[in-house]
Amino acid sequence: MTTLRQLTRPWRPMSYGFLDSSAKRELRRKLLKAIAIPGCQIPYASREVPMARGWGTGGLQVTLTLLKPSSVVKVIDQGADEGVNAVSIRHFLAKVSGARETIDTCEATIIQSRHRVPEEVMRNDQILVLQVPEPEPLRPVEHHISAARQMHADADYARLWLILYEQMVRTGRIMQATEYPSLVNGRYVMSPSPIPRWDVPKLHMAHHLTLLSAGREKRLYAVPPFTRVEPLAFCDVPYRVEDHAHLTCSRSGLNGYFMNEVPQDDGGSLFELSDSGLCQKALRRAAGEDVPIGPTWYRNGVM
Amino acid sequence: MAYVAARGGERAIEQSQRLYRERLGTIDAARVDEIGRALPWLVDRIMGEASLYAPELAALALTQSGGDLYEAVLLLRAWRTTQPRLAVAEPLIQDKLFIHRRISAAFKDIPGGQILGPTLDYSHRILRTDILEGAAFDPEPVERSAEPAPPHQPSLASWQKAQGLVVDFAREDIPKDDIPDLTREPLLFPASRAHRLQSLARADTGGVMALGYAVMRGYGPAHPTVNELRLGEADVEIAHPRGTVFSAGRVRVSQAEVASKAAIENIDLGFCATLGWNEVKIIAGGTLDLNAQHATKGSPFEEEFFLSHTEPVEGSGFCLHFKLPHYVTFQSMLDAMRDARRKQAAKASKAVVKEPAE
Repeated sequence: MTTLRQLTRPWRPMSYGFLDSSAKRELRRKLLKAIAIPGCQIPYASREVPMARGWGTGGLQVTLTLLKPSSVVKVIDQGADEGVNAVSIRHFLAKVSGARETIDTCEATIIQSRHRVPEEVMRNDQILVLQVPEPEPLRPVEHHISAARQMHADADYARLWLILYEQMVRTGRIMQATEYPSLVNGRYVMSPSPIPRWDVPKLHMAHHLTLLSAGREKRLYAVPPFTRVEPLAFCDVPYRVEDHAHLTCSRSGLNGYFMNEVPQDDGGSLFELSDSGLCQKALRRAAGEDVPIGPTWYRNGVM
Repeated sequence: MAYVAARGGERAIEQSQRLYRERLGTIDAARVDEIGRALPWLVDRIMGEASLYAPELAALALTQSGGDLYEAVLLLRAWRTTQPRLAVAEPLIQDKLFIHRRISAAFKDIPGGQILGPTLDYSHRILRTDILEGAAFDPEPVERSAEPAPPHQPSLASWQKAQGLVVDFAREDIPKDDIPDLTREPLLFPASRAHRLQSLARADTGGVMALGYAVMRGYGPAHPTVNELRLGEADVEIAHPRGTVFSAGRVRVSQAEVASKAAIENIDLGFCATLGWNEVKIIAGGTLDLNAQHATKGSPFEEEFFLSHTEPVEGSGFCLHFKLPHYVTFQSMLDAMRDARRKQAAKASKAVVKEPAE
């Protein structure tokens, strides 16, 4: 017979890693399913967390499920560790899990990111968690979730190709800037989250596991290691990343990486590395510190 | 030196919260208690949207957020989600509700009678400025009725079913633990009946009203008549592991049944219920429920549309998230736009050359 003691537990102000065990169990099952079907959106309950929806709650739930006390966690927003929301999330993760915080890509075991993949190559012992505002790549052509699910089931992506073609005809190029629709493992088209086109090739045949999670839309999906990620492109119009290969960072002097444009009073612009962790390391190295910088996906602006 | 920027973010966060809280001053149990007693209708609205019946915690959330309703709902939901689900209560039976207010617009009088209960519906909305000048506004005591209304009332729909006016659907006997729970499963479409009603129960009052009102104004096919509206208290009946069913306490609930005016063979009913007393929400929600089956694909009165867009925590959070930096996406867009402009300019200059001279 079930007793009251079995139904309850001693009072604690908060579970380890904030989420209670039923939420974590559900997430782990859904994560395994997502890894088993690369690029396929898996619905999950998506519990409320102490942060507003749209502010990284999907990424947060996945990271909270994966964290352990020995984890080393890095959180970036737009490539920057010092963004206020990144700082807020990183502190929360460390507080509820006991994990160590870092801004060094090479040192981290889990990297939660909004809108960027770090420039340094990630290893097979690292996990990238991308925050996703809109998981459905078909949303621009099909508003209904129910209909879009059917289209995914049928691998019916004709209308996505069509809008890319229309952009070509109208403007002479594909205008899709970020969240570039990409075919995963030759089967499901996914939105790689609003990372720039610069970052999408980093997911292709990567050594690391990428988990993408949309808390508000309650969907998660995955790109397992060594999985093909191919941006939709025409055979005569190759996929094209941002024209940043020739830009130089005004702070660190590094060039050939994705840059932020900083408008200047004189009407011109300066550029600085979007990957602030890499920028910091380059600055410290320039100041004479012995800071190791990992190999980067792009070298001299070429992948 | 290298970490200064990261610490700067931390300090900015801390100080911004201090600035916000400076305006609220000291928050103590006395203030929470006063807010709970002074604003019972707001507390009810928040409990409904948070899907957590806890008046004291709702008053605390309201106090802590300084009255920002979406913030208060998020506080409660984030607390709620960490709590274990110990038991599933017995279903509420209409006849067992303790009724405070019960009205029907469909008939002049109904079995069990119309009970006006607590309402300001027929009050004159005059601002009592004399209170600001020192006058106290002590409500006059309620005079007891010579014939008190019975505490329990049959539902009007049961009379209508007996008359054959409303289809009496066969009751599905689903084990309590198998009832889908929206707080533990994602909402998928088409949604189960349980998910639709749960979703409406915790929907944003303002959002449900806006869409429900649009239906009422003629954008939806079915116009509502309030078949029955109830404000009551329900016993939360729990089965003890030994099998005894006991009441763990009472919660305020609202229910509305909305009938279609366009009945041909049978009267269609829409239904909405929520925790706490919140009449606007259940009338609008019932109207949306009533219209959903006739809604054309893509219209705002389709279930997928109104359930997706009246979720208070998701909607408010997403609106606010646009304050977050988006400079990477913006940079990427600029790159494509500048290149397209170069291409257009090149094309235009070529076109000029090709033009035959006059």
